[in-house]
Amino acid sequence: MPDTVIEARNINKYFQGAQRHHALKDISFSIRKGEFTSIVGKSGCGKSTLLYILSTMDTDYEGELLIDGQSMRLRTEAELARIRNEKIGFVFQFHYLLNEFSVLKNVMIPGLKLGRLSEKELEHKAMEKLHIFEIEDQALKKPNQLSGGQKQRVAIARALINDPLILMGDEPTGNLDKRNGEIVFNLFQKLGRDLNQTLLIVTHDPEFANATDRIIEMDDGWII
Amino acid sequence: MNFKLISDVAIALLMARWRQTLIAATGVTFSITMFVTLLGFMHGLNDLLDGLILNRTPHIKIYNEVKPTAIQPVQVATDTTESYHFIRRIKPGAGRTSLYNVDKIRQTLLQDERVLGLAPKIIVQAFYTVGSIDITGVINGIDVEAESQLFHFRDYVTTGDPMALIQTPNSIILGKAAAERMLAEIGDVIQVTTVTGERQQLKVVGYFQSGLLDIDKVQNYTALHTAQKLLGEPKSYITDLQVKLKDLNLAPETGREYSRIFQVDVEDIQTANAQFETGSNVRSIISYAVGITLLIVSGFGIYNILNMMIYEKMDSIAILKATGFSGSDVKRIFIFIALSIGIVGSVVGLGTGFLLSSLIDQVPFDTPALPRIKTFPINYSPKFYLIGVTFGIVTTYFAGYFPARKASQIDPVVIIRGK
Repeated sequence: MPDTVIEARNINKYFQGAQRHHALKDISFSIRKGEFTSIVGKSGCGKSTLLYILSTMDTDYEGELLIDGQSMRLRTEAELARIRNEKIGFVFQFHYLLNEFSVLKNVMIPGLKLGRLSEKELEHKAMEKLHIFEIEDQALKKPNQLSGGQKQRVAIARALINDPLILMGDEPTGNLDKRNGEIVFNLFQKLGRDLNQTLLIVTHDPEFANATDRIIEMDDGWII
Repeated sequence: MNFKLISDVAIALLMARWRQTLIAATGVTFSITMFVTLLGFMHGLNDLLDGLILNRTPHIKIYNEVKPTAIQPVQVATDTTESYHFIRRIKPGAGRTSLYNVDKIRQTLLQDERVLGLAPKIIVQAFYTVGSIDITGVINGIDVEAESQLFHFRDYVTTGDPMALIQTPNSIILGKAAAERMLAEIGDVIQVTTVTGERQQLKVVGYFQSGLLDIDKVQNYTALHTAQKLLGEPKSYITDLQVKLKDLNLAPETGREYSRIFQVDVEDIQTANAQFETGSNVRSIISYAVGITLLIVSGFGIYNILNMMIYEKMDSIAILKATGFSGSDVKRIFIFIALSIGIVGSVVGLGTGFLLSSLIDQVPFDTPALPRIKTFPINYSPKFYLIGVTFGIVTTYFAGYFPARKASQIDPVVIIRGK
C-alpha cells in the first residue's frame, strides 16, 4: 500500500511504576494519505500515549511502527529527530512558541533545521502558511503579544512548514475558549478537505470527532 | 551544517537572560584579568630577582685555581712497580693565578659560534687604608665597555660615569656600602695596599650599587690597566675570562670543553647558582595554581547559570526536540552559549589584564637595594595571555558541557505531558 502514511502493528506499551501498567494493548491500525482521523476516548485511556509513540518521541514500546513504509525500530535518536522534522508536524495542547523569536521565525525554525530551502524561500513559505491562517499581519510580533487562538494558529503553521506527511494534534483545541476553538477546528477542516493534508487528532470533544473522516475510539488501552 | 540556526537559537537564549550572561562573562573576565596580571607580576619579580644574580654572573668563568698539582713530581720520577711513596700534606705551589696565553684563548673564543661575548677581569685582593686602620676589599679590574655590554655594569653604577675609569688615570668606583664605611666622597683619593705590599693612590669617580649589601661592601671596580699597574704586571696579565653564551643552558657542556682544550679551570653558571631556579619555579607554580583556581571558580558560575537557563527553558528545549532538533543539536546550542560567554569574557579579560598590568607597572617601587628599579616589574610575555585564554575557553567548555548534556537528554514527552 504505497499510500499508507503510518502503520502501527501490535503496539504494546507498559508503564513501569510500583505496578506494571499495561497502557496500550495490541494496537494495530494504519492511516492512508489524505485521511482526517481522530482518536477519541476517556481521559486516561491511552490516546495521548499512543500519539506520542506514533510521533516517534516515545521510543519505549513493543511492536512495530512504520512511517512512510519504513520501520522506526532500531533508529538512533538523531535519525528519529530528522524524521520528526521532515515528515511529522505536531500541535500540542499548549502552543509552545519561543518568545525570544518573532512569529515568523518561530514558523521558520523547523524549516531552517531541515535546511532544504534558503532562508529567503522559507520566509516566503512561512508567510504563505500564515496567510492560510489569516495571521500574516502578526508575523513580526513576538508570540507573547498574540491572543491564545492566534498563538495556536501560529503553532499549526509551524507544524506545516516542512509539508509533513502527517499532522498530529494532541487536543489542539483543548486549551482554547469556545470561539477560538471553533476557529482552530475550522482550520483543521480546511486543511483536511481543501488541502488534502493527512491529519491525526486526539480529542475528547465528540463534536470535533464527528466532523472527521474516521474515528478511532479507545478504551483502557484497546481500540474499540 | 545548522550552525547559523544553532547560533541564532543560542543567542536568543542568551539575550533572554542577558543579565545573568553578563555576570557570568564578568566572572570569566575577572579571573582572566587576575590570571594574566598575577602571572605577569610574579614573573616580573622573578626576572628581577634572577637578574640580580644572573645578569652579572658570567655563563662560564675561565680562571686558574690555586691548587696543588694533580701529578706530583715524585710520581713521575719513581718507578712505582718496585716501591711505594707516601706524600702527605701537599700544599699548592706558588703558581700563577693569571691565565696562560690569554690572547690566543680570546681569539679562539670569539670565533666560537656559541659565544655572545667575553670580558676579561683581574681580581686584586687589597686593603684600603683609612686613617690608622685597614679595611679589606676586592678590586676588580674590568674592561668597562665589555662589562657594561655583557653584564650591565653601567646599570649598577648609581653615581658617576663608568667611562671615567678609562678617562681618569688611577681611578676607582667604590661599592656604595664600602664608600660609606670609608667616608669616601666622589673626587676623594683613597690609599690602596695590595697583598704584595704595593701602595697606590686611587681617585674615587663613582659608586656602584648591586642591591646585595655583601657585594657592595667589598667589591670595587677599576680599569684593567689600573689593576695591572697596581699589581706591577704586564698588559697580558688577566686572571679571569668571563664568557657569555647565546644559550645559557649550554654552559656546563661548553665549559667542560674549554677546560679540556685550554687546560684551565672553569665554572659554569648552573654550578655557581644551582639552587637559584628553585625559588623562581615555586613562585611560578603558586601563581599558576591561584590563577587556575580563579578560572575554575568562574567556570562554576557559568555552570550555575546554564543549569538555571535549562530549567527555565525546559519547554523551549522540549518543543525544539519535538520539531526535529536532535539531542546533539540541543547540546551544541548550550555549548555555544557557554563558549560565547567564555570567549567574550576571556578576550575582554586579556584586555583588562593588560591594562591592570600596565597600571601596576606605573606604581612606584623605590628601594635603595634596587637602584635600577623605579616601578613594579611586570613581565608582558604573550605566553601568559595564551595560557589564560586557553584555560578560560577550556574551563567554560567543561562548565557548559555538563548542563548541555543534561539538556540534550530532556525527554520532550515528559515535559509536554507534565503540563
